[in-house]
Amino acid sequence: MKKILAVMLCLAMVLCMVACGAENKTTDTQDTEKQSDTTDEATKNDETVKDYDNVIKNGKLVIGITEYEPMNYMENGKWTGFDTEFAEAVCEMLGVTAEFREIEWENKYIELESGTIDCIWNGMTLCDETYENASCSDPYVINAQVVVMDKDKVDSYNDTESMKELTFAVESGSAGQEAGTACGFDVVEYTAQSDAMMAVKSGKADACIIDITMANAMTGEGTSYEDLAVSFAITEEEYGIAFRKNSDLTEIVNGFMKELINDGTLIKLAEKYNLTLYK
Amino acid sequence: MIILVISVTSFAVCGQGQTKSTMKIINNSAKVAEDDSPTFVSVTVKLAEGFLRTLELFGLTLLFAIPLGLIFSLLSMTKGVKYIMRVFIWIIRGTPLMLQLIIIYYGPGLIVKWAERNEVSNFMIDFLGKLNSMGAMTFAVIAFVINYSCYFSEIFRGGIESIPQGQKEAGQVLGLTKSQIFFRITLIQVVKRIVPPMSNEIITLVKDTSLARIITVYEIIFLGQKFIKLNGIIWPLFYTGVFYLAFSGLLTLIFGFIEKKLDYIKC
Repeated sequence: MKKILAVMLCLAMVLCMVACGAENKTTDTQDTEKQSDTTDEATKNDETVKDYDNVIKNGKLVIGITEYEPMNYMENGKWTGFDTEFAEAVCEMLGVTAEFREIEWENKYIELESGTIDCIWNGMTLCDETYENASCSDPYVINAQVVVMDKDKVDSYNDTESMKELTFAVESGSAGQEAGTACGFDVVEYTAQSDAMMAVKSGKADACIIDITMANAMTGEGTSYEDLAVSFAITEEEYGIAFRKNSDLTEIVNGFMKELINDGTLIKLAEKYNLTLYK
Repeated sequence: MIILVISVTSFAVCGQGQTKSTMKIINNSAKVAEDDSPTFVSVTVKLAEGFLRTLELFGLTLLFAIPLGLIFSLLSMTKGVKYIMRVFIWIIRGTPLMLQLIIIYYGPGLIVKWAERNEVSNFMIDFLGKLNSMGAMTFAVIAFVINYSCYFSEIFRGGIESIPQGQKEAGQVLGLTKSQIFFRITLIQVVKRIVPPMSNEIITLVKDTSLARIITVYEIIFLGQKFIKLNGIIWPLFYTGVFYLAFSGLLTLIFGFIEKKLDYIKC
């Protein structure tokens, strides 16, 4: 009995090690293959990069992602998420299939330039760095940390300086807490964003800092928080798609994006994944 | 045996590699990474800090809940207020402690704010306004004391009613006053009988204090969870269990000692 157990455990150990090792190997070989057939592609770089023709010729758009909820994540062995569904919709319009490739986030521009991926589509924040290294699409989703406070107090606080005298409720460890502390605010930590809202409602704190999506959903007519209002955003970021520099795909995808917004597809997706679309 | 250890470690190493790489991804996309990673010592110190809050809440609750529980139990055996008391005990025992914490913590503020909007003002509102400016610990103690008094009162009632009526009558025959009978005959025997159920409740209280984190009492579980949120490490949360275990172990020893000391009472 003991021997059988020992052998089985031994097997399990070996299997585990092999599984761990193998994963890296396959990605390695893939990398080198892809890199080799794109080096010649890079040499014929003109002013505008004719990515569109290449993508159509290959019949697929290779999308660089990392697992990042709710944008791209695995569910039952399949990629899902806002960006996943969005990218699949765009690829359908292009008439190609979407191929998702997990990348090392630090090397994203290298992967893009070397052609191992055609775009980075992973809830990517648009900032100077992104514009410098890639050709960026229009922003499609925004994420912001906003201040929520009593409706009648909103007008008397227009900037972070005047807000310093207030006490803020935040969710412990949230982006809102980070933003609040960065502004030098007096913050009290709650276990959830909804608790922070309740703290404002009951006068435990003067204001709270929460996600814009949550703030919009929780305030307004028909809610218990009608007397509270969203003041302004302390931090704001816009998400966009990054293509190769001077790529002709940027404009094409921008066009598709507008269509998807107009026909309501993106609005439905944003509701499904609880995100706020860029307007 | 050795093989078992090796295979387990190999699993652990594999697992670690994977969590590390996913951690990296999360850090990259969220771009929040703490530089100073916590060590065993710094985690222990931080958690001990939180456990002090736990003990504070535990101690204050016991201090107030035992006498109040006795009063509740006497009231629930007194004609006239008996039914009011029993309904109250039913409400408190019949709702989750977490809900009671939320109501007691946010309730006064919600009423005050409502009163402000509707321009109602009276002494009750003023009182609630003052109450609302108290610290979170005060509210936690209030909620815990009320909740535990009700549980204690039922234990006390059971204990008091278990003392045979004949002893009371004997006391009366000897010419003792009502309070003498209660304190010198009944209560002393009640104490012995209720030690086991009380130790049960008290050990439950140690663990229930963790609920206070939802009303911003930064006790040990709250701090444990914070390590997950800020540093992405899970073990401090599991490690909090050691503090609870050690303390409830100590309490178990104390109760064993008390039971032994009370052995001289035969009943």
